[in-house]
Amino acid sequence: MNPSEVDILLVDDSQDDVELTLHALRAENLANRVFVARDGEEALDFLFCAGPHTERSFDHPPKMVLLDLKLPKVDGMQVLKQVKGDPRTRTIPVVLMTSSKEERDRAIGYDLGVNSYLQKPVDFDEFRKMVKLLGLYWLVINQPPVTNGNSHSVAQAK
Amino acid sequence: MSSAGTKLETESSAQPGPKLRALLVEDNALDAALVVRALYKGGFDVSAHIVQDEAAFTQALRTQRPEIVLADYNLPNWKGMESLNVLRREGLDIPMILVSGALGDVTAVECIRQGATDYVLKDSLARLSEVVRRALREKDERSLRHRMEEDLARKVDELARSNADLEQFAYVASHDLQEPLRMVTAYTQLLAERYRGKLDENADKYIGYASEGAQRMQVLIQDLLAFSRVGRNNAGIGSVDCNAVMADVLQTLAPAIQESGAVITHDALPAVWADRTQLAQVFQNLVGNAIKFRGKEPPVVSVQAEKTAQRWQFSVSDNGIGIAPEFAENIFVVFQRLHARTEYPGNGIGLAICKKIVERNGGKIWVESRAGSGSSFKFTLPFHGLDAAEGSDCEDIA
Amino acid sequence: MALTRQKGVIVKILLELLVVDDNPADIALVCEALAGSKLHSKINSVGDGVEAMTFLNRREKYVNALPPDLVILDLNLPKRDGLAVLAAMKAGPDLRRIPVVIFSTSQLRRDIVRSYEMGANCYVSKPGNLTEFFSAVKSIEEFWFGFVNLPPRGE
Repeated sequence: MNPSEVDILLVDDSQDDVELTLHALRAENLANRVFVARDGEEALDFLFCAGPHTERSFDHPPKMVLLDLKLPKVDGMQVLKQVKGDPRTRTIPVVLMTSSKEERDRAIGYDLGVNSYLQKPVDFDEFRKMVKLLGLYWLVINQPPVTNGNSHSVAQAK
Repeated sequence: MSSAGTKLETESSAQPGPKLRALLVEDNALDAALVVRALYKGGFDVSAHIVQDEAAFTQALRTQRPEIVLADYNLPNWKGMESLNVLRREGLDIPMILVSGALGDVTAVECIRQGATDYVLKDSLARLSEVVRRALREKDERSLRHRMEEDLARKVDELARSNADLEQFAYVASHDLQEPLRMVTAYTQLLAERYRGKLDENADKYIGYASEGAQRMQVLIQDLLAFSRVGRNNAGIGSVDCNAVMADVLQTLAPAIQESGAVITHDALPAVWADRTQLAQVFQNLVGNAIKFRGKEPPVVSVQAEKTAQRWQFSVSDNGIGIAPEFAENIFVVFQRLHARTEYPGNGIGLAICKKIVERNGGKIWVESRAGSGSSFKFTLPFHGLDAAEGSDCEDIA
Repeated sequence: MALTRQKGVIVKILLELLVVDDNPADIALVCEALAGSKLHSKINSVGDGVEAMTFLNRREKYVNALPPDLVILDLNLPKRDGLAVLAAMKAGPDLRRIPVVIFSTSQLRRDIVRSYEMGANCYVSKPGNLTEFFSAVKSIEEFWFGFVNLPPRGE
């Protein structure tokens, strides 16, 4: 997959949750543009075009980052802090999707500038519905600040 | 104190018309008279003013407005060739003819190189009037050409400004019209939904007309905006890989392709020098049309590229409903449609946009087709941008 | 109506929306779109940037107003434009967590990027036709009031 064509960066260390998410996104035809990072360090490397991702460029960020909180190496809140704290990446929409019910986490997340915060439903169907709505909302209704040369810039033919 | 100059006039009843105003730089009265007589014999009616130094010369230039200067080479107080400097200083394009005793060829050529129009020996004055005639004729031609060049430059300027104004107007008009139009569209639709069946029988119909009209206007304005935007932003010109562009276009058209069962193939396409976004628009419009204007069978579309002497020639060919040859030029005109809106949707701006883009990039676009037997839309693009293209493409069209 | 757990007890929260738009016709459309929805209890609206801040800071006639749970913000506003309101919200400790959805006709790249840079949660272009407009507004409400875990209330 072309590194500049990634729509969603999914950051989650739970194999089950990753598969569920990809499955739900596939149903909306979004699955082929998802990149999965298994820990906070890989997520940061991806977003900051470092480590194994030096071929990426800040001009082609993902349209959305789906971020879990509990991650190995670097946790979700740290990732959020760095992404929202750097002018090169702070405009990337970040959605925290976590099983944490901590009110404190919500408060800190919004303080750091998370775009939205969702709790992963326990129910399989609810989870799927949530991912579908997320995809639709953030990739279709929302206008991301990216400049990929895609269909947005080409007028519809008549 | 310089002499104010003397005057010599000929009086001719046989040659009516304006007198040739000549300015003579000559200190010998007899020589001056001989020059005037030579001109008279050559068919000129002459009004000659005679000066001997720079001050008088300059003064005479301003007051007499001579058409020709005839200067001796050597004078006691001046040199005839210096008159050229004065002419240059005054910004006057008046032919200067050296009328002199023997000079020697080298000097004569040198004088001409320095700006003298011609030279005539004092003992060959018979040539003089012919030389003068030629000098005056050349001066006239020069003036005419100069005027025409200025005219042309001015017209080009006006045209460019007028064009820019029109484009600006089209853009602003369509852009600013969108907002109030959005209000009309939204609320006529709302009225239609909210009050369906609740007012008298004509109300639904009338509201429906208003609503449809508003929606059509919206699309028209959007199309106009798209059309006027072409060329506003030429930032993206560079080398473009057409294969990558086609891949993008196929992705954008994926729903239409799937719905129609279209089969779209393309050759290995070249890289061209163009604006990527605009080129994508051309391919998208042409392929989209090929899919839209299909016949009973699923559309089969092929995109090819051929190399000619100076350009790439692309063709988008389909098996659709085709176009009768008498309409082949019409379809590229803004908002021209060949079918009713109910038969095939659209406003008829897609091809106009293609034409605008292709021509802006130095190419030409046309269609080869017959009603009922598919169409082949062709367009050309020069290899390396507008510099390599040499004007119109006429020779490429069979 | 959204449910939340506060101090271990499930509590019904009445969610309120603030719409900031200088076009009363658009405000009316938003209200039409959300009419009958059970996700919100109140829609407040103001017509310019200065009044928006008066509302959010609970001053003058808005002394008893509750802070909104979501702000739908247009960009082109008189007196103080949308980005200025956004900046003011992000500067205030009690206002900065409130999610802001920019809802504007502008599709200019610089407006979109600036909005994100200044902390807007997302950016939605006002669609030109009614069906899409309604669908967009409903989706905004459904997402933010139906799915999202909103920031905890200040008090």
